[in-house]
Amino acid sequence: MIFEMLKSAIRSILSNKTRTFLSVLGITIGIAAVIAVVSLGEGAGSSIKKNISSLGSNILMIMPGKTAGKGRLAQAVGDVFTEEDADKLLAYSTSLDGVTPILTMQMNVQVGAVNTIANLVGAKSDIWSILQINVMEGRLTLPSDESKSVCVIGQKLKEDLFGDEPAIGKSISILTPAGKRTFTVVGVLEPAGQLLFFRPDEAVIIPFKTAKLRVFHTKKVSLILAKVREPELTQIAMQEIDSYFFKKFHSEDRYSIISQDYILQTLNESLTILNLVLGGIAGISLLVGGIGIMNIMLVSVIERTREIGIRKALGATRSSILLQFILEAVIVTLTGGIFGIVLGAIAGKIISRFINIPFILSPAVVLIATAISTAIGLFFGVFPAHKASKLNPVEALRYE
Amino acid sequence: MNLIEIRNVTKIYDLGDVKVNALRGINLEIKEGEILVIMGPSGSGKSTLLNLLGLLDKPTSGKIILAGKDVSSMNDNELAKMRNRFIGFIFQQFNLLPRMNAIENVELPMVYAGIPKKERTKRAKELLEKMGLENRMHHLPSQLSGGQQQRVAIARALANSPKLILADEPTGNLDSRSGDMIINILKELNKQGMTIVVVTHDSEIAKIGDRIVHIKDGKIHEIEVKE
Repeated sequence: MIFEMLKSAIRSILSNKTRTFLSVLGITIGIAAVIAVVSLGEGAGSSIKKNISSLGSNILMIMPGKTAGKGRLAQAVGDVFTEEDADKLLAYSTSLDGVTPILTMQMNVQVGAVNTIANLVGAKSDIWSILQINVMEGRLTLPSDESKSVCVIGQKLKEDLFGDEPAIGKSISILTPAGKRTFTVVGVLEPAGQLLFFRPDEAVIIPFKTAKLRVFHTKKVSLILAKVREPELTQIAMQEIDSYFFKKFHSEDRYSIISQDYILQTLNESLTILNLVLGGIAGISLLVGGIGIMNIMLVSVIERTREIGIRKALGATRSSILLQFILEAVIVTLTGGIFGIVLGAIAGKIISRFINIPFILSPAVVLIATAISTAIGLFFGVFPAHKASKLNPVEALRYE
Repeated sequence: MNLIEIRNVTKIYDLGDVKVNALRGINLEIKEGEILVIMGPSGSGKSTLLNLLGLLDKPTSGKIILAGKDVSSMNDNELAKMRNRFIGFIFQQFNLLPRMNAIENVELPMVYAGIPKKERTKRAKELLEKMGLENRMHHLPSQLSGGQQQRVAIARALANSPKLILADEPTGNLDSRSGDMIINILKELNKQGMTIVVVTHDSEIAKIGDRIVHIKDGKIHEIEVKE
């Protein structure tokens, strides 16, 4: 019997092709939008996470200001830490094995006629063991470089400034608020993603004392970077740092301690919210499509009143009429859903290529989209189908 | 033996402001194997009576007993099953489903009875052959003449070998030649033992009846018994 109903449902769906096409289109667009948005969201998320999680989870960043609520960084309140804090912290804590003060600012970098904006970072040579990055060519800065005008540059910055030419031994000029300063390149970093507060690929890293004395002219530092000896000690280290700075400031509002995990978690939350919002907007178009289906089904029930009357006279039960109309709605939405998945995947693939993120279409998403389109058919089909099933056969047979 | 007993049946239509007494206490027995003709002017209640006999509607009060079973207290699903197994309908408008061909229309009651496809098609073909439609099996209703459509409808009415055929003005939309053919088919079916109830206001057709029930103002006015 179910096979007969399926046949009958398909026949009546095909009897009005324009109408069916438009109903299917409504669902196709909705599902395609959801699939594209979700797969792009997943792609973007994985691309960002890949960049960040290459860094160990045992790095802590101490920033001025307070993190407001869940994961939103409040505006930095200004220069609150000093170089001394970094040294004292290392002595105070039992769980840290590397600490460096950081001075950082965006500045204009020049080589001959080429100039670009780069992140200037002043840091002690401990930064290399903390961030665990190495050079592709040349060498890293050493403790003995302090106060010298040497620098290590990122791989992308090197390409921007020097192209294929070797950079080691060459000079670069940096336009600082205090005037033009010249540095000799001693190393080019291997490629790395986003690391906490900066992108090493596009940065110039100079010794801390050089930055302090020749560029920034300040006793304060932008932030402090610390490495925990073992990942398991991260919680203890955070407590120690907190206790150190609370003693100093008598307030929790002047500093915040951020871990790699915390950044990942914040990012995940933001991405999830973004995906939900975008998915929700796409979902609205599905709702509209569903209402369109319901509308058409209601018209169809009225048009076929007599048919329903005949079927009832011949022995159709209420449930078999109900099932027949629900089947019709589900066939329409499921067809729309399948087209939508294909269309959404194609659109997602094209867009992801354009914005250069991986394309991820997980089987779970496909499965959920199929389930949702079926559910829309059920949900929006039930009311018209119920109306059809409870038609009085005498009146239905009299209907012209 | 009585196939149907109607006891004190009334039917009141509640139209909001007015109540229409369509049937006011009908008592009638229909014997197995007879042709019963119901006649009456329009508005007399004959269609209402036919709808009650066809289990398409329920009486306001009274009892209808079909093949020994009280159908007045049955629910919608039980009534659908009874219509499917015990009753075959023939309508004035033929009422074939327009998107199905002759075979599929005849198969429909068997679909609802849960008969397997192979058996259904075999029986539908046999019935259509008996109706002289062996060359019209795959035609849609729109491709058939009125007489041919009504014969498909009769084949469909016979699909589940019902005990009772209910015919509502079966020749009302047909020319006299096709009408005669339908009348002859009904007579032939009756000879084979089928109980037939015909509603008509055509006194020519009424002649086939073993008994003719005249209805007026919702009551049985007179029952004519043919010798």
